Amino acid sequence: MLELRGLSKHFGGVKAVDELDITVDEGEIFGLIGPNGSGKSTTINLICGVYEETAGTVRFREELMNGKQPHQRLRAGIARTFQNIRLFPNLTVWQNLWVARNSPQDLAAQGFLSRWFGATRRTRREIAELLEFADLEHKGDELASNLAFGEQRRLEFARAAAARPKLLLLDEPAAGMNRQEIHDLSGRIRRMRDSGVTILLVEHVMELVMGVAERIAVLNFGQKIASGTPGDVQRNRAVQEAYLGTSESDSPPVDTGD
Amino acid sequence: MDDYVITVLSNIAMISFIALSAYLLLITGEISFGQQAYFGLSAYAAGAATTMFALPIWAGILIGACVAGFVAMAVGALTLRLSGLYFSISTLAFAEMVRLILLIVQVQVEVDGEMVGPDGANGFHDIRWMFERNISLTEFMLFIYGLLALVLIALLLVERSRLGSVFRMLGSDDLLTEMQGLNTVRYRILAAGMAGAVAGVGGALYAHFTTYVEPQFFNVMLGVHALAYGLIGGLGTAFGPLIGVAIDVGFLEAVRFIQGYRMIVFGGLVAVLLIFMPRGILDEERVHRLKTLFSRWSHARAQGR
Ligand SMILES: Nc1ncnc2c1ncn2[C@@H]1O[C@H](COP(=O)(O)OP(=O)(O)OP(=O)(O)O)[C@@H](O)[C@H]1O
Ligand SMILES: [Mg+2]
Repeated sequence: MLELRGLSKHFGGVKAVDELDITVDEGEIFGLIGPNGSGKSTTINLICGVYEETAGTVRFREELMNGKQPHQRLRAGIARTFQNIRLFPNLTVWQNLWVARNSPQDLAAQGFLSRWFGATRRTRREIAELLEFADLEHKGDELASNLAFGEQRRLEFARAAAARPKLLLLDEPAAGMNRQEIHDLSGRIRRMRDSGVTILLVEHVMELVMGVAERIAVLNFGQKIASGTPGDVQRNRAVQEAYLGTSESDSPPVDTGD
Repeated sequence: MDDYVITVLSNIAMISFIALSAYLLLITGEISFGQQAYFGLSAYAAGAATTMFALPIWAGILIGACVAGFVAMAVGALTLRLSGLYFSISTLAFAEMVRLILLIVQVQVEVDGEMVGPDGANGFHDIRWMFERNISLTEFMLFIYGLLALVLIALLLVERSRLGSVFRMLGSDDLLTEMQGLNTVRYRILAAGMAGAVAGVGGALYAHFTTYVEPQFFNVMLGVHALAYGLIGGLGTAFGPLIGVAIDVGFLEAVRFIQGYRMIVFGGLVAVLLIFMPRGILDEERVHRLKTLFSRWSHARAQGR
């Protein structure tokens, strides 16, 4: 599904991502963890085309993605959320979802009216479903900037879903969430996966990753230091050292609480 | 109505086109100091169409708007990689280039024993379509307002459409727009072309209303005012820039005791507004609140029946 080979990104002297090899299989939830600054967000940015790689390849469904623009990668089926929430604050919640529906499937199905004026019943029904999925049924007409933090996170998730991705990249979706919200989030992640979406989950909240991910890779200073099932990773020496050797704020993988 | 009032009212409408043009780019996040170039190019093109080629005025307006639109798209494509201040300066440089070129363009032909066409620094005189047909100033003013209404309705429809949302997306987060699967390059060029064409309609009308145009009129002050109108009136709706024009050309021009101090009053007004209302009187937030109020009100009314 997704194959990173020798992927590197250097910022001046900083090797943010260094010779990374990762393979994500179709239909799995793959966790990517690591201390602060270990290159997780940079990896996501390389996969979806925000950064140009220094070396290495990104293959998605056998197709080479190197050199493709972000909008081309989205249409190929790669959607994402951001570590720092990014929405269109001047658009309503409904409009934020409306403009995200650019999958080839939707574009082919939409007529002129539906595509540009959002007028057909099907468009409206599908956006209503997305609102329900994100628990935002009554917020459709609010400006995105007027939403509470948790609602904004859910809208971002729904917006990524609106693109009908085949691969969804989540960059710390649980940051700042309480227990209940994390529980809801893991439900939502599983529902996405069950509908056929492969998921790459970057997360610090171990309770979430260890709970939903089937396989995990651990980054440290841009390099993969371990990978395997959540159990394998938790028992791994190098991983424990990487976490204990850095700032206090990182929860080591053995800690399943938050 | 006396001619002075008609002239002021017509000016309000004609300047509104260039204000709408600058507004369209402002909502996509681009500050252009050069929309006067498209106003001017179209004034010349439309003037040439009706005088040198004896075409009807609607053809002149269409040609002017197309010339302005296509040139704007070309310039937009060339300046795509620039952003912020660099973009703004490039628009200004281009507009000055157009003005200087118009100052030396001399293409005159003989029509009915008279020489007509652009005459370099002397400008472009005798664009007399209106007078040859005995159309009164009042009638032409109504024609201008008719076209303004058409353009305004078109822009309001665009704002309601997804294209309008895409323009606002470009204005708030270019990368995020790209990440929705939208080719931002294509939409930016489209916005540039639409903005050029809108300014062009105004320029074509201006040439025929005043019967002569000179490059000096399309100087940078016109572009700066066009920008200021959107910033005063607000970036939340296409009515915003019109409010800006009405305040400046209408109110400040009409109130006699301000005469002579107009630029000072106007400059101060812009400065104060930008501090307290950085996105203008009718900004996105207020427009949204008004829309919500209106829909509640109409909903309540429908239920009350
Ligand atoms: N645009 C950039 N320019 C320069 N350096 C960068 C840039 N982006 C990231 N870096 C550096 O690359 C390294 C990896 O950053 P990255 O954001 O990928 O880490 P991360 O694993 O996502 O960390 P966190 O858990 O804090 O989000 C860091 O040292 C960071 O300072
Ligand atoms: Mg990060």
